[in-house]
Amino acid sequence: MINILVCDDDKEIVDAIEIYLNQEGYQVHKAYDGEQAIRMLKELNIQLLIIDIMMPKLDGIRATIKIREYSSIPIIFLSAKSEDTDKILGLNIGADDYVTKPFNPLELVARVKSNLRRYTQLGNLNVENNALFSAGGLCINDETKEVTVDGESVKLTPIEYNILLLLVKNQGRVFSINQIYESIWNEEAIGADNTVAVHIRHIREKIEINPKEPRYLKVVWGVGYKIEKQ
Amino acid sequence: MKKRSNTFLHILQHISFVAAAVALALMSIGAHVVVEDAKGVKYYNVYDKEGVSFEDSTLFNEILGNNVYDIICYGAIRGQMETNGKYDAKKPVDVTAFANRYEGSMQEYITAEYYLEDLIKWARYGFETEEAFMTGKEVDDFLSKMRTVTYVDYEDGDYAGGTISYLNSDIKKNTHVMDVSGNMMSENGDSMRDDTHATIMKNRYQTIDGKNIEKYVFSWNEYYELCDNVQKAAEDLQINYEEYLKYNEYYDDENSNIVYYIRKTIGDEVIVYSNKEVKSDKLSVLEESLKEECSKYIYYDPEKMLYDTNTMIEEETVRYVLNGYEYAYPANTQILIGVTDSYHALDVFSQVKNGFDNYSPHFGLYLSIAICSVILYMLLLVVITINEGGRKQEDKIPTEMMLVFAVLIAAAYAYVIIDGEISIIKALINNSALGIVTGAIALLTSLLFSFFYYSFIRRIKAKILWKNSLARRLCLWIKKIMLHVYDNSSVVLRVWIPVILVILFNIILILTKRIPGAIIVGLTDIVIGVLYYKTALDRQRILKGINKINSGDTEHQIDEKGLHGDNLVLANAVNSIGEGIRSAVSTSMKDERLKADLITNVSHDIKTPLTSIINYVDLIKRENVENPKVKEYIEILDAKSQRLKQLTDDLVEASKISSGNIVLHWEKINLVELLNQTIGEFSEKFEEKALTPIFRSSEKNVYINADSRRIWRVIENLFNNIFKYALAGTRIYIDLHTKQTDNGDAQVSLSILNISENPIKVNTEELTERFIRGDESRTTEGSGLGLSIAKNLTEVQKGKFEIAVDGDLFKVILTFPLLEEK
Repeated sequence: MINILVCDDDKEIVDAIEIYLNQEGYQVHKAYDGEQAIRMLKELNIQLLIIDIMMPKLDGIRATIKIREYSSIPIIFLSAKSEDTDKILGLNIGADDYVTKPFNPLELVARVKSNLRRYTQLGNLNVENNALFSAGGLCINDETKEVTVDGESVKLTPIEYNILLLLVKNQGRVFSINQIYESIWNEEAIGADNTVAVHIRHIREKIEINPKEPRYLKVVWGVGYKIEKQ
Repeated sequence: MKKRSNTFLHILQHISFVAAAVALALMSIGAHVVVEDAKGVKYYNVYDKEGVSFEDSTLFNEILGNNVYDIICYGAIRGQMETNGKYDAKKPVDVTAFANRYEGSMQEYITAEYYLEDLIKWARYGFETEEAFMTGKEVDDFLSKMRTVTYVDYEDGDYAGGTISYLNSDIKKNTHVMDVSGNMMSENGDSMRDDTHATIMKNRYQTIDGKNIEKYVFSWNEYYELCDNVQKAAEDLQINYEEYLKYNEYYDDENSNIVYYIRKTIGDEVIVYSNKEVKSDKLSVLEESLKEECSKYIYYDPEKMLYDTNTMIEEETVRYVLNGYEYAYPANTQILIGVTDSYHALDVFSQVKNGFDNYSPHFGLYLSIAICSVILYMLLLVVITINEGGRKQEDKIPTEMMLVFAVLIAAAYAYVIIDGEISIIKALINNSALGIVTGAIALLTSLLFSFFYYSFIRRIKAKILWKNSLARRLCLWIKKIMLHVYDNSSVVLRVWIPVILVILFNIILILTKRIPGAIIVGLTDIVIGVLYYKTALDRQRILKGINKINSGDTEHQIDEKGLHGDNLVLANAVNSIGEGIRSAVSTSMKDERLKADLITNVSHDIKTPLTSIINYVDLIKRENVENPKVKEYIEILDAKSQRLKQLTDDLVEASKISSGNIVLHWEKINLVELLNQTIGEFSEKFEEKALTPIFRSSEKNVYINADSRRIWRVIENLFNNIFKYALAGTRIYIDLHTKQTDNGDAQVSLSILNISENPIKVNTEELTERFIRGDESRTTEGSGLGLSIAKNLTEVQKGKFEIAVDGDLFKVILTFPLLEEK
């Protein structure tokens, strides 16, 4: 049984999250401020923490900083603050994920699953294979042509696979539509073509929890696409 | 510490100045000896080659030379005044011969003989004449009937003493005096002479024979000539008599270290003039006694052509002097002059010798002190000049006053030292107080110079030389008055008074002074032109400022420095208007920011309950509700809560953009890429409504400078808009092309055209206002902020956002500056 601690000063939100997570078979513990969360973390065997930022007594940011002194469990921020700066701050002080309110319950559940997989399974991955490429939770085995995200297998078409492989092999580098086109189709790009863009969107829909806020395949608008180096 | 060392340097400087001055004074003034000899006060420079004794110095010879000249002159005068070596008042003087003594001897002349004493006295009293008119008869009575002629018989042969030195020769022995009858007399003795005007000389004294002048002559010409001779002889003798007395005193044995013997032989008679007792007139005896007493001597015998001396005086010099007095010296004359070794008398020799002996050994010392002190002074001058000004000295006296004081004091010095040479420098010669007086003067000079010099240095360093000057104050005062008058007079006066004044000035100067006037007028007109130009420049500056504020630079301030009159008022007004605009803008910016903050906070507060609503609506949906009505209600709840979520997000975004509260990350964006990406993203949505995007680009790549995510947001909003409002099954035309603007800048124009599903009732401007939508129904999804956000974001990224509506055709045109591909 996996224990998840949900901490928010809004009782109804906590209750709603509890319902969703229970449906997925997780044991949920509830806390309503940062201090309580820290206390419960010490008392119970918790595998994942969902925590709000704006809370009485001890806010989520400070609580996370304290927790990170002794624990490396996945922490997901759940906040009404949707500014980029807020997200960057949260991730920098030690959170693993950041979900803004109001959230899509399914997305939250997916992110919980993803983080748990990473936490519990990815540690013992076999990385000896030369044909194995990975970026965070995204893994490509070029021998078996298999793609997994956080351990879950994903089905891609050959073109989607090739595009993703190109980007994963060159993590951090931005490819323009034309560059991608030329290296996948081996033809000169004619321009004014959105084929690649459509493929990319399909890939994002398959490998990302929220395609609009992709974790792996990022769109650099007006420049190209890239897989963030992790 | 610094102050103390500086004071020490100052004192050292004064000391070096005084030392230099005293050393120089001793060198120069100390080298001079002032002595009074027979001819008056004389100055001698005792400086000579080192190691030379006084007697061998050129100085000694110079003095001796002067004395040789004097003694020869003195000897000649003694011959005129003395008989047998003593002053003879009753010595008869042949006036014509005396008056013409330089001319040589005459053969036949009219003369009269007076006593020496009478002639001297007569010259002292002066000669009186009177104008008289005489009839022929009276003339006969006045003038003699005979003329008395003196005749020298040169036929007689040898004259002892020689004929040229007639005063000392024995010509007299062969001189005859006779009365000769006038040849103008008629036979009966009647007067042949005419009535005449005559100038008659009064006979104060009579001749030795007791006669008046007129009794020796027959004609007026002879009378006047004789009168002239009497007068000339008397005046010369009077002058010589004064000289004689002076020389007697000066060359008295007690007063002079000179020993002289002048030995004249006329026939058998030997005359010796000397300031010593003459024991024998024998030449050998005289020579012996001279050499015994004097180590330096001159012996000259022109007759035997003998010249013997151990001085530097050359025979030629003595001969030349003697020739000047040849009337006084017979051919057989011997001159013996020497200087005693004893220096018993206080005369020119002993005084100069004293100065020479005192001075010569110290010259080197004085010189080295002087050089060292001058160098030290110069060094200190440089050092202190560099150091000076560190202290906070008060130099409040106006610069000009200091300058005037300095010039006055310098002038006083010039007067006392240079112009008043007689008073100070000459007084210092031979003065034992020379050192002290010079030192005192030098100290005073040094103090005064330092006072003024360092004051000026400090002024220059403190940059108050001009600031503290009266001229500056005067200039400022005049400027102030003129500006006051200018600023406070009416426009008419302000414009016309200067114009009239300038014209009058021009006319008057040109008419009165012509060319110089024209030059002055030209110069002043140039100055006026420059002033006028400056005013125009100021005006232009203000105009520029107005233009800047006008074009949005509300921070701009016109520099009011140097502005006057209308320009100042204008600049003031513009600045205060600018200030007003500025504060209005900043207030409105502040308000916008406050509004944005408010909206952000409110949206946070809305989001939390909204989360619960969305979540629980979702949970209800999962509860397998059978009732179709409830199902429908839940769908509405779901849709509206989602819209509320979108609305809050858009609201925050819109308020942030309009308050300028966003940070842009500029990068090079390829619009073609962006549009392909966006079309790809929307491909499914468009397919859903059967919309066909048609993208045409004039170039393969079109680059602009923009924020990647913000520009995406613009296009996304536009595409979303199309998705929401375009008529299903139509085509969307997306055109991208570059163009040149009128001022040559390259631009990118992106137009997106679609056909609206519903008629567009609002005008294009209102479309981009917040919360305005084309249908106004507010029932469909969307916040109504999409176009507003797109427009604001475009403008923030230096683009232009235009909407064109033609019937159902809805067209958005974005224009950005093109980033040239490099």
